[in-house]
Amino acid sequence: MASVTAMIGAPANSTFAGSRESSRYGLRSKAGRAALLIAAVGVLTGCGGASVAVPTSFPIPLVEKLPLKMGVYLNPELLAYVHNEKLESSGNWSISLGDAQQPMFKNLLTGMFDQMEFVADPQSPPANLDGVLVPNIEEVQFSIPSQTRSDYYEVWIRYQFKLYSGDGQLLADWPLTAYGKANERNYGMQSNQQGLQAAALAACRDAMAFFTIQFQGVPPVKDWLAAKL
Amino acid sequence: MTRYLRLTLLPLAMAAIAGLGGCVTSTVQEIRESATGMDATDSIVVLGRRGRPRTGETELDFVSCVSRNMGSGSNRLNVIDEQTFTDALFPWFEPRTAPVNTSDLPELMAIPALTARLDELGLRYLIWVQGSTKRTESAGSLTCTITPGGAGCFGFLTWEKDSSYEASVWDVRNGISAGKVSSDATGTSYMPALIIPLPFIAPVRSSACSSLANQLKSFLIDET
Repeated sequence: MASVTAMIGAPANSTFAGSRESSRYGLRSKAGRAALLIAAVGVLTGCGGASVAVPTSFPIPLVEKLPLKMGVYLNPELLAYVHNEKLESSGNWSISLGDAQQPMFKNLLTGMFDQMEFVADPQSPPANLDGVLVPNIEEVQFSIPSQTRSDYYEVWIRYQFKLYSGDGQLLADWPLTAYGKANERNYGMQSNQQGLQAAALAACRDAMAFFTIQFQGVPPVKDWLAAKL
Repeated sequence: MTRYLRLTLLPLAMAAIAGLGGCVTSTVQEIRESATGMDATDSIVVLGRRGRPRTGETELDFVSCVSRNMGSGSNRLNVIDEQTFTDALFPWFEPRTAPVNTSDLPELMAIPALTARLDELGLRYLIWVQGSTKRTESAGSLTCTITPGGAGCFGFLTWEKDSSYEASVWDVRNGISAGKVSSDATGTSYMPALIIPLPFIAPVRSSACSSLANQLKSFLIDET
């Protein structure tokens, strides 16, 4: 097994190879070298949390479109959703999901319905719409490899969906739990950042995939579709 | 003169050392279940199996390595990039929805939009890659020290890696399994250090990748 020994403790005026410039910025001091070593070890071990935003590029589902005009309402809380968590001995972690919601639901509904549009109020939508979908994130959880003693970053997103009729009546309300994971071995030294981002993106894609295959099977939705089509 | 020799010989010695590496032993096997063959317009895709929670999954760069090797060199094939394929056929090849066996193919092929997209892509064979590379043994120790007078390492490390991958070839047009190709590679790497550590790395995973890709090429092209 490899071990690294760092001997820090030489006096600040020692003959350590370095320029006067480095001395001026404190690199020749004990504290300076200690900070450098801690920073280097931090980079090498990938500790110290991460702050990631889910990329905003999503595919359009390849399914037979339902001949409906569907509206979607994304509330301000969803559009600004950020999950922050402090893990003991692993630093601060942040997953920003808000910016991804609009492109995600635009592509999802574009693929599933003949027409889609964003609406400002689900209970008084434009007259030409058959229904309005209202997604909301209820909960986000994640785990990192050091917690689970595995190679994986994992992200769970629990959505709650509501479906309103064209005249603003609530027709259905159902949960959807999406899951994504990413192998830390795919991301080398930047695994915290890239691994968590990949797991969050995978969870968003899973939400889209799950919604696509589940939507027509949700009992109240099934009844609504039977009446509409 | 001494300085000249040092300047000339040092890069040569470093280049010679860099050219050396640990040894790799690789084995490739194939099981054929049906005849194969490809037209000039046919294409293939290599996909990694993405399991549900915490099951092992193939490294992304191994899948792209096999894909790249099959799409280059002699007998190169038309290879669709994994991400391009999964996006084009979304959501049918996501971890939640991807077919597990060839018996799942007829149900997928019953989706008209999906069949049309597959025809557009000219997809003939779908190759699922499973497996991984693991460090199986390691020994020795290496200590690096930083002092005010300089830095250096001393010691000797050795480790063994084992790659084991299996590719399942599905004939999408006929909805059947064409066969399986497996590639196993083992190699030992060394790292002696006398002030400067000198790694002699055995290219285990890249060896498994090129063996698998070459065997898959001949498996698909040879009509047997």
